[in-house]
Amino acid sequence: MRQLSATATVAIGCLLAGTPSVAATDLSPNDWLSKMADAVKSTNYEGTVIRTRNAKEEVLKVVHVVTDGVIRERVVVQEGNGLEIIRNGNEVKCILPDLQEVRVEEWNDQSTLFSTLPSTDIRFGSEYDVSVVRTERVAGRKAVLLAIRPHDEYRFGHRIWLDAETGFPLQTKLIGDEGNAIEQVKFADISLGKEIHSSALAPSISTDNFRWFTSPKRTITHSVKTDWSSDDLPPGFRVIDSHKEELPGSEKPVTHILYSDGLANVSVFIETAKGKKPARRSRVGASNSFSIQVGDHQVTAVGEVPARAVEQIASSMQSNP
Amino acid sequence: MNDTIRAQISAFVDGELPENEAEMLLRRMSQDRELRQQAAEYLAVGRAMRGERTFAGMDALRERISDAIDDTSVQQDLESVVSGSPRYLRPVAGVAIAATVALAAVLGLQQMTGNIAGDADQARDAVADADNRGYVVPDQADDQLREYYLRHAASSSYVGASSINARLVTLELVDGVLVETEEEPESDDATAPQTP
Repeated sequence: MRQLSATATVAIGCLLAGTPSVAATDLSPNDWLSKMADAVKSTNYEGTVIRTRNAKEEVLKVVHVVTDGVIRERVVVQEGNGLEIIRNGNEVKCILPDLQEVRVEEWNDQSTLFSTLPSTDIRFGSEYDVSVVRTERVAGRKAVLLAIRPHDEYRFGHRIWLDAETGFPLQTKLIGDEGNAIEQVKFADISLGKEIHSSALAPSISTDNFRWFTSPKRTITHSVKTDWSSDDLPPGFRVIDSHKEELPGSEKPVTHILYSDGLANVSVFIETAKGKKPARRSRVGASNSFSIQVGDHQVTAVGEVPARAVEQIASSMQSNP
Repeated sequence: MNDTIRAQISAFVDGELPENEAEMLLRRMSQDRELRQQAAEYLAVGRAMRGERTFAGMDALRERISDAIDDTSVQQDLESVVSGSPRYLRPVAGVAIAATVALAAVLGLQQMTGNIAGDADQARDAVADADNRGYVVPDQADDQLREYYLRHAASSSYVGASSINARLVTLELVDGVLVETEEEPESDDATAPQTP
């Protein structure tokens, strides 16, 4: 009888694990997003991440520490060339063991590999619906699944599994317009909120005999009012920022306009064309780009949106002096 | 010109000549147009064998020679190679073996500078900075497009949103090159209307 009781307890526990708990359903989807935004800003974590795209898996070891607002992070690719990325504030070292090289770059942004997902400022409604679907287990922890579903074919859908206790994102999945998973990032195991020794942020290999390279200055940016605009933006996209940047390889500053629908972002880069080039599309991971000549200018749209969105945006850019 | 000097030029083009010998050769080249012409032909034959009008690293090597000996006539000699004169597109039997390693020459240059970008300014900077750990990510299919992806990833971070995927792009670009790049067939439709 005692054994039966134990089995029943386990069975009930399993059933509960697949059912939204009172605590999980108490919070609205936007409350969960707020909780997540707070968690990713301040939580220290260490774990193993599995990234899946194009039916191919990649395993990463990640350590992330925030001290007095300074982000320190270490990402190590566990297969292939064993790339290690060590971040200390804005300075980022990319260690390539196979080439015996260290490339030092400066990242002026505050993002980290897992720190930025929808913020509390995002308003859902006309372009997306967001809902709490159910609770599941991810990386051995109870997680709340949020679904963000787009209303049209100009943006991807998202599924986000948030740690039920802290709101930290344990798994994210990008969903294409046919319901297919384009890319998934998932913690296989994770330690949240614990003290992490600084040795965990050190390179795993000696770089004594490596060749070191320092990055050229990447950009000088200032905000500008631009004459360029799109006359056929996909619904919901609006200008977030426009500025000029000096980029390596570009003789003149490049106009950079950032569009967002609150969740998906598209950058449009405009510079003087160097000769006539055919229109071109490319893809890196979940990001698409489309480049086209408009008059004497080369216009390139880049973003984590379906190809049709970057094509429509780039093709609809006009200069209206 | 004897075989020794030819071998030296070939090794120089291949990036395999010891630095002290390279400096001596550069000094000789500054005073000897025939030597410069020979170096230009070595580069050109390799290019012709690959059916290219020019190749990544050409500008960098040309700049290195030009900068080292501070002589604009060298630039002109080497310009003639880049301009694609038919004379240089004909493989020359005597230098064919050296030319087969022209690709290795490019790789040698890459090792020296960490750069095979075709942009002359970038290449010149990389050569100048070689001793100061100069940097341009080597072997990128399209540096401009790569910069666009990276700038987009950085900008997206300020607005939150789906920049987790943008940041993954950074990881991918550090690790490799652009994938699935595709050009559209050239047609009237491929170019948007002129701006007003």
